[in-house]
Amino acid sequence: MNRSWLYIFIGVVFEVCWVIGFKHADSLITWLGTVIALAISFVLVLLASSKLPVGTVYAVFTGMGTGGTVLAEILLFDEPVKITKLLLIVLLLAGVLGLKLVGNSSDSKEAAH
Amino acid sequence: MAWISLLLAGMFEVVGVLGMNRIKRDNNAMAYLLFITGLILSFGFLSYALRSLPMGTAYGIWTGIGTVGATLVGMFFFAESKDWRRILFIAMVLGASVGLKLLS
Repeated sequence: MNRSWLYIFIGVVFEVCWVIGFKHADSLITWLGTVIALAISFVLVLLASSKLPVGTVYAVFTGMGTGGTVLAEILLFDEPVKITKLLLIVLLLAGVLGLKLVGNSSDSKEAAH
Repeated sequence: MAWISLLLAGMFEVVGVLGMNRIKRDNNAMAYLLFITGLILSFGFLSYALRSLPMGTAYGIWTGIGTVGATLVGMFFFAESKDWRRILFIAMVLGASVGLKLLS
């Protein structure tokens, strides 16, 4: 597997960590950990997008980040599973992915002429 | 307040992204100021919003508003494509966000 994809997957794990931190951190140590996780996920995304198309990296990253935070709150923090809410998040995600993927290709076409 | 804070977080993400693009283009102090201020305010408002909103909802809407905002800025200020598919995706993000707000 390409190293850049590995960066994305590890980056997403740190992304979910800082989101959890933003919600639950309550001491200097946990806030410090949150900021470090944020910095690591940033660096990994930048590393990945130096080799792969930025639109693709962002789309995959956001998709997995959103999925990861939803899973984390259900599995780790007993957030009740509400089907309507999950469907709305899927709809939202589909819109974001569409803008990142389709939007990007039409931009590059515009830039080309 | 949490929802207003989330909205502001998404908007300042757009400011940060604009700064990032400026850094690539002009590479001056103003570009860095825009990037850093946008980012700090975005994460600050997001962390406030996350304290009371569910993580998946807040994270999703934050990236959603950021992406829609950046697309709208591109369309209206940088003459990017106003393709109907992009309008449809924007409507999906905004519709889903309003739905999540109403559901909460």
